[in-house]
Amino acid sequence: MEVPFAFLVGVLFASGLYLMMQRNLLRFVFGLLLLSGAVNVLIFTAGRLSRGVPPIIPEGLAAPAGPVANALPQAVVLTAIVIGFGLIVFTLVLVLRVYERLGTVMTEELGPALVRSPDAREEP
Amino acid sequence: MSALVVLPVVVPLLAAAVLLLFRGQREFQRVLATGATALLLVVSAVLLAQVSAQGILAVQLGGWQAPFGITFVADHLSAIMVLITAVMALASAVYALVDIDPEREASGFHPLFQVLLVGINGAFLTGDLFNLFVWFEVMLIASFVLLTLGSSRAQLEGGIKYVSVNLVASMLFLTAIGLLYGFTGTLNMADLAVVLPEHDAGLVTTIAMLFMVAFGIKAAVFPLFFWLPASYHTPPIAISAFFAGMLTKVGVYALIRTFTLLFVADVGYTHTILLWIGGLTMVTGVLTAAAQNDIRKILSFHIVSQIGYLIVALALYTPLALAGAVFYLVHVIIAKANLFLIAGITRRLSGSFDLRHIGGLFQHAPFLSVLFLISALGLAGIPPLSGFWAKLLVIAAALEAAQWWVTGVALAVGLLTLFSMTKIWQYAFWSPLTNGVVLAQRPSRLLYAPTIALALLILLLGLWSEPLIALSDAAAAELLDPSRYVQAVLGPATSDVGLGAGHAPVAGGRP
Amino acid sequence: MLSAVLIAFAFALGAPFMKRLAGDRAGWWLALLPAGLTVWYLSYLPSVAAGESIREVTAWVPRLGITLAMRMDGLSLLMALIVAGIGTAIVIYAGGYLKGDPKLPRFYLILLAFMAAMLGVVTSDDLISLFVFWELTSITSYFLVGYKHESAGSRASALQALLVTAGGGLAMLAGFLLIAVITGSTSISALLADPSMLLASPLLPAVIVLIAIGAFTKSAQFPFHFWLPNAMAAPTPVSAYLHSATMVKAGVYLLARLAPVFTGEPVWVWLLTLVGATTVVVAAALALLQRDSKALLAYSTIVALATMVMLIGVGGEFAGGAVVVFLLAHALYKAPLFMVAGSVDHEAGTRDVTALRGLGRVMPITWATALVAGISAAGLPPLFGFIAKEVAYEAFLGAIPWLLLPLVAAGAVLLMVAALVAWRPFVGREVMAPRAVHEAPFAMLVGPAVLALAGLLFGLAPGLLVDGLLVPAAVAVIGAPYTFYLELWHGLTPELGLSALTVALGLLLSWRWIALNAGLRSRFEGSRTGPAGAYQAFADGLVPFAEAFTRRVQPQDLRLHLSIIIGVAVAATGITGLLMGTLVLRVAHPIGYFYEYLVVAVAVAAALAAARASSRLVAIIALGVLGFAIAILFVFFAAPDLAMTQFLVETLIVIIVALVLIRLPRGSLRERGDRTARLVTGVIAVSGGLLVTSLMLTVTLEPLDLRLADFFAAASYPSALGRNIVNVILVDFRAIDTLGEIAVLVVAAVGVYALLRRRASRSEPMGAGPPRATDGEGEGT
Repeated sequence: MEVPFAFLVGVLFASGLYLMMQRNLLRFVFGLLLLSGAVNVLIFTAGRLSRGVPPIIPEGLAAPAGPVANALPQAVVLTAIVIGFGLIVFTLVLVLRVYERLGTVMTEELGPALVRSPDAREEP
Repeated sequence: MSALVVLPVVVPLLAAAVLLLFRGQREFQRVLATGATALLLVVSAVLLAQVSAQGILAVQLGGWQAPFGITFVADHLSAIMVLITAVMALASAVYALVDIDPEREASGFHPLFQVLLVGINGAFLTGDLFNLFVWFEVMLIASFVLLTLGSSRAQLEGGIKYVSVNLVASMLFLTAIGLLYGFTGTLNMADLAVVLPEHDAGLVTTIAMLFMVAFGIKAAVFPLFFWLPASYHTPPIAISAFFAGMLTKVGVYALIRTFTLLFVADVGYTHTILLWIGGLTMVTGVLTAAAQNDIRKILSFHIVSQIGYLIVALALYTPLALAGAVFYLVHVIIAKANLFLIAGITRRLSGSFDLRHIGGLFQHAPFLSVLFLISALGLAGIPPLSGFWAKLLVIAAALEAAQWWVTGVALAVGLLTLFSMTKIWQYAFWSPLTNGVVLAQRPSRLLYAPTIALALLILLLGLWSEPLIALSDAAAAELLDPSRYVQAVLGPATSDVGLGAGHAPVAGGRP
Repeated sequence: MLSAVLIAFAFALGAPFMKRLAGDRAGWWLALLPAGLTVWYLSYLPSVAAGESIREVTAWVPRLGITLAMRMDGLSLLMALIVAGIGTAIVIYAGGYLKGDPKLPRFYLILLAFMAAMLGVVTSDDLISLFVFWELTSITSYFLVGYKHESAGSRASALQALLVTAGGGLAMLAGFLLIAVITGSTSISALLADPSMLLASPLLPAVIVLIAIGAFTKSAQFPFHFWLPNAMAAPTPVSAYLHSATMVKAGVYLLARLAPVFTGEPVWVWLLTLVGATTVVVAAALALLQRDSKALLAYSTIVALATMVMLIGVGGEFAGGAVVVFLLAHALYKAPLFMVAGSVDHEAGTRDVTALRGLGRVMPITWATALVAGISAAGLPPLFGFIAKEVAYEAFLGAIPWLLLPLVAAGAVLLMVAALVAWRPFVGREVMAPRAVHEAPFAMLVGPAVLALAGLLFGLAPGLLVDGLLVPAAVAVIGAPYTFYLELWHGLTPELGLSALTVALGLLLSWRWIALNAGLRSRFEGSRTGPAGAYQAFADGLVPFAEAFTRRVQPQDLRLHLSIIIGVAVAATGITGLLMGTLVLRVAHPIGYFYEYLVVAVAVAAALAAARASSRLVAIIALGVLGFAIAILFVFFAAPDLAMTQFLVETLIVIIVALVLIRLPRGSLRERGDRTARLVTGVIAVSGGLLVTSLMLTVTLEPLDLRLADFFAAASYPSALGRNIVNVILVDFRAIDTLGEIAVLVVAAVGVYALLRRRASRSEPMGAGPPRATDGEGEGT
């Protein structure tokens, strides 16, 4: 099943990257969400997929009876999901603040200009 | 002994926790934050001394033998970076006592700064690739918040650029880790160093490019540097200075670590690319700096330019070049951060960062002028200051490697750097004041303390460069012989590079 | 010898305090340093005269083999004596010249620091330490030229001098480092003793050119000559000291020092002689345009320096001897002439030689000094300058005679300059000057007078110096034993004939000067061609160019940043993958269940919908669906913990997004127009997706080493007493990851709180402190 997952990740990457390159910061955040999900699936898939054998040791045994799903990528993805959550929420609130302070969420309307340009705006 | 390697992370972590708990107590926060940072300096100095005496130190956290648990490793490079971090942290922390307003302190400046240190030191010390990602994120989120703390318009504008670009870098980094894990089955860097040569060099090099871009963004190399000049000048100087000194250097560190330990399968390809990136970064940074009139922006663009030298040194990949890279790292962190700190004092004296509104400082603040000169000329590589040796090592390495064009570029950029520094000098210090104020505010003596200390360090490293060159040499020797790192982490049993997967001892478990 | 340099530096640092202690007489006290050093250096005379060279080695950077080695031989001693001796006169003179200037303490500090650095240059026996001192002379020169930094002209001149000399210095450093790379040593003595390795290297021409560039910039040779006349913005003591007697001779010194290595190499010979000859012609011609006494002297200095460069290029015994004689003679007459010009400026208020007449009546001692130095400068007997010119002519006659052509012409100009500075302003019945003129104070008389008289003494009795100093110095330049003698009169020789010709031409020029000067000025004044124009074009053009460049490489729009960065990531990885042959869509036969494909398809559809959504509601729903689809996939593939977390996080995010969206402007997410941008980003995005898919396919085709997974499964319960392996990894095996994760969450919470807190209080943004006049946090422009 790794092959369809590879294509799924590809689609998620393409959509995520596309959204991140648009003018609206909100779309950037959506892209980030997509991309973050895509990377999580990528890592999960990188550990190979197996069905129905969660990495849990049954009661009474010291080790799983047979092969179980690869636990390491699962742990890594879990960490990544939570970290991603923190970053995304912060970014989202930052975008909100940008809108409240600057009145725009369009990337080209954000300063500061680094070289003189005729339409440079002053701090209100 | 093992605790020592972890302490640079533990000390600020505990400090951050306590500071968060006592958010209301301003005085207590100030004392504790400064004290913890001073303690960090002591701990880091002891760590470097130990590494010098005993070689690479490795700790298996929780007692889980590598590659199963997470290993913290202190080789010369890591220990030097941790120490310089502590030096800069203390300088910024003291400066912050005056520079950071009570509002920002109440919003959590002190604990955030400690968390930033946790992330940076974690990144320098960890021997695990995913753990490196985690520390990067700790550092990033702390820097996000510090950068936007106060929410001024410029900060938000710069902040959103900084945040968005760095998040892209994080995603690329994580993607690269996932792909690498997908065919090696391991995350431990020493283990990877052992395993990677067995795999298809083409695949390794392809994924190495993802790492190069991800770290390149964090290091602010051409053409990935946009976020830096767009944001670094926006927060208060105490924060700007520390960012300017340290944050990009974590990216450079990661590049050095991975492109000496892991991705050396096709040096002719990867490091040639790095050489071009380095050259272009130098030129771009210095030229864009020439267009600026705000001191902080000039300095910000110069960060980019100096990163170029570091990348060139890494790309040359010789003992002399890598020693140069390490020396250069230390030098440029100190000089650049100090210039920011000094710019903060000039702002207090003159009310502006804009060169067109500043003047007469040589007459009114001769002592500050001397501090500025030491740092600025040091940055420009004028002897006998630290930057001279840094440039000398890199240029000598380039000549030794017969890389003529890079030598030429490095020399020309050095001259333009001098031009930029003298531009600040001529405007802010030499020219008579035409419009603007002098002595808008008498700066606190506390602001001077860190700048004096750092200026003395620049002078000392110039006059007596031998100890740092020796350390840099040792670091370079370790970087070029990854088996030492591998041996320190995995133990002698698996030290033979080339030993295959599955040969690692399954001797995990707690001792 | 190192101690002498270090003591001089220490003394320099103490100079401001001396000023505070001794007030106006500080100059006299401070002169004790150079005077003492002169005596101390003289103590080397006996051993140097005996042909010894004394070497001291102090370790500096052993790892790089760099030492603070010092060496005293004839050439170094000659230069050191010039530096310290003339320094004595200058320090005393400056005390009078800058009397009452509040910046005088700083002046002394920098001047003495320069002297220390210059002594370091001429006694260093290590290329790198020589370079260190060399750069220090450039830096101190910068501060001295910019001494009157309130004036924009001074600042520009200082910067120009610095950039030209420091730029040349960098080339020189590259040359030195090449020598170090080729020979493995930076010791000058070692290089002189055995240059065979360097001479055999194919890089030899590069080494010669790089080092010569350094020397040419320092010694103001064409095309770098233009900084020196501009450096006359410095106070006159500085011009006299740095820009005629000492610092500008550092280039000549370096060439002379290395001459034994390179003499006879075609690159060396032609580079030095041709550049020297060009410089002679250019500087002599430019001198004709000047009216300012210091500018006249500056151009004549360039001519003199170029003469020495040519002599070194010619090489051989005669030339070696001539160089050292010329070097000393020039220092002895040029420094007093500058000081005289400065005294006149100081007393009479102008340096314009056309505006001054009859000063000899009121400034008799100054005039007498001027005359003695001027006659030497004009190359007339019985002064030392005459001898120097004769031996130079002799050297050229014996080697490359046609080089005499420019030299004789230039000699005439030198005579004219001498006449304009030492004769014209002083003669005449009526005193003509912008203000009432008095004789200069004693401090400004004694130094130049002593130096000028020394020129007379050595002219009358040249033998005094020859054996003790000049022969050892010449030996150092030639690199082989050699001896010579000097005489004021040595018969009717061709050289004497040339001298007579020079004098005749010079007198003619001086006689017709007013008309010539006026004619030339009306023709060429303000011309911005040539190297000086090139520098100006560079200086003027750099900032506009940089601004245009910045606009190109640092676009303001964040979306462009992100597009470029993502594009670079995709391109760098993709192209590498293609080159390495790793990007193949190798599709193994997938085995999967229908419901799995269904969920994958739902996820794909949701992703595409999110990317295309123009309505915010649709986007949120699509993202939510996608998140839950991923969670279900986690359930299918044995990751219940992941699925739980994913469900939880996804739900939270959807709620938070919805909350934020309420506060954001309504309206379409899609942008109007700009098809190109959409196309470009689309191509980048699709390539990125393909790239990742392809890499994943490649990677998952390889066998995965599962020893970590196996270890965790085996060790979880026995060692860590946990049955959920994922949990055990999170809290035990990789607990530190979790620690970092918690840190991220806490900081994110603090950050969100800080962002929203500001909003709640609705106050103005925090400034970085009270100065709000021009808020630095805003855009300064």
